[in-house]
Amino acid sequence: MNSFLRLLYRDLKAGLWSTKSMMIVQLVSPLIFIFVAGFGYASLIPPMTAGNRQVSYVLYLAPGVVVMQIMFAASMAGAMLWMDKRLAMFAQIIVGPFSRWQYILSKLVSIMLQGMLNAFIVFAIASPLLVGLKVSFEGICYIAGSLLLGSMFFGSLTLAISVFIKSNEAFNAILNVLFTPLMFLSSVYYPLENAPLIIRAVSLANPLTYAADMLRAGLLQVYVPLLPAEIVALIAESLIAFTVATVAFRRIKL
Amino acid sequence: MSEYSIDASELTMRYSSLVAVDHVSFKVLKGEIFGFLGPNGAGKTTTIKILTTLLRPTGGSATVLGYDVVSEGGKIRPRIGVVQQEQSYEYALSVEGNLDVYGLLWDVPKLERKKRIELLLDKFGLRAARKTAPPELSMGQRRRLQVAREFMHDSELMFLDEPTTGLDPQARRVTLDFVREKARNGVTVFFTTHIMEEAEYVCDRIAIIDRGRILALDTVKNVKQKFGGVSVIHVRFADYNDDVCRRLQSLSGVQRIVCPQEKDEPLKLFVKDANALLPEIIEAAATLRLRITELRVEEPSLDDVFIQMINSKGESHDEQLS
Repeated sequence: MNSFLRLLYRDLKAGLWSTKSMMIVQLVSPLIFIFVAGFGYASLIPPMTAGNRQVSYVLYLAPGVVVMQIMFAASMAGAMLWMDKRLAMFAQIIVGPFSRWQYILSKLVSIMLQGMLNAFIVFAIASPLLVGLKVSFEGICYIAGSLLLGSMFFGSLTLAISVFIKSNEAFNAILNVLFTPLMFLSSVYYPLENAPLIIRAVSLANPLTYAADMLRAGLLQVYVPLLPAEIVALIAESLIAFTVATVAFRRIKL
Repeated sequence: MSEYSIDASELTMRYSSLVAVDHVSFKVLKGEIFGFLGPNGAGKTTTIKILTTLLRPTGGSATVLGYDVVSEGGKIRPRIGVVQQEQSYEYALSVEGNLDVYGLLWDVPKLERKKRIELLLDKFGLRAARKTAPPELSMGQRRRLQVAREFMHDSELMFLDEPTTGLDPQARRVTLDFVREKARNGVTVFFTTHIMEEAEYVCDRIAIIDRGRILALDTVKNVKQKFGGVSVIHVRFADYNDDVCRRLQSLSGVQRIVCPQEKDEPLKLFVKDANALLPEIIEAAATLRLRITELRVEEPSLDDVFIQMINSKGESHDEQLS
């Protein structure tokens, strides 16, 4: 078996699969958001204009919640690295037949796979909401691109953060401080068209907005005017984040 | 092909003002067990990290299995095995899972992995704990798992950084015997420890390192002869008191004296010529009206040589600094 695939297997078995409780939480919370918060707010919020069409609030919220779930799942990449550093598994692997580059990539691909699987399960459970929607090949590309690029960006970000963090508590605290504004200053919960200018401006610089808009384009055929620019920005930011994580890896003290 | 598995020349590692490894040169023959001995902080682990390509030296050069540690790390790593000093394991997998995943990482085929797992569970006394995850194991069991794991794959050269730390005497002996068995099958072993009896038991040659510098490098026997060159006289008195220690210390030819901390412990004299000194010891005891209950002369152990060497070099180092 190829050395990268061996590392990936190890990450899935020893890293992700071993944190089954965490994975269940990451699966249940989006469903609560969609079915409880989504339907609760839908009784207050009439169908809204998003991009080029009108959609119910539940439908609008569902893709946003899925990309938010991708963001939280991606934090597992950083958590896995932190654990590997603490238990000297990072050095043990690096001293074996693997490169640092393969190590980072295996972490990212493992969280991408987990994110895709979680998203698939959420969509499957939420399928009654999606009845009547037709997803084209182009739509599938948008959906896959959103999930993969979102995982890559946030996975690389958390990997880079965990390089510099010395305790688990500090790692969790930083993610909480970082993720909360990212969630609310984005198009996850509401369309940006009618948002106050400053919120709109900040949200348009947020990769979570790009991933959410891309997913909505694929699933609901809701196209925001800046979508092409957002896709380019998400690709560029994901590549930059990956490069930053790779460079940061050189600073890990062994 | 070179006859050496490791060839280090003037290897140096400097961290700002601290020199962890100071112009160290040595060669390790293929198939030998080479002991790297030194007190804590002597530079053993730093040397291992350089040789296993984890650290880039600030000076000198080294080849491992014929490849340069700086520019050809990718060719070295697939051929070596490393047991780090730090505890290392997959926290969520059982003992068996740890061994299996590690074997898979090294691309050991499934059937071979199963065979090796059974062998290692028996060899390292882990069979009863095979389904237990490391956080629930004792420190010694975790260390055994870490050492056993490295035998899941074949390597030409093994770096064992204090592999017996935390092990009970029986587990230590089993581990050392397994290392010797591997060496008999052609594996070169680079072994660090500060436990001299281990080095004496397992190593073909040793290097003693302190403050980043190699103080001695030879077979255990030769190091003892060359750098010891002394005998140890053990004297036990019926009614020991501190006066006798002071009196014996003043005798000419006594290099070092270790006075007993407890009444029933023997007094130890490190001397160049034991035969010449024995009558003087008996005379001193008679003068002080002390009865000698035991008097014997022994060759110094490696422990004695090591402590003597570290102390004397330390003193000369301090003198140089002052």
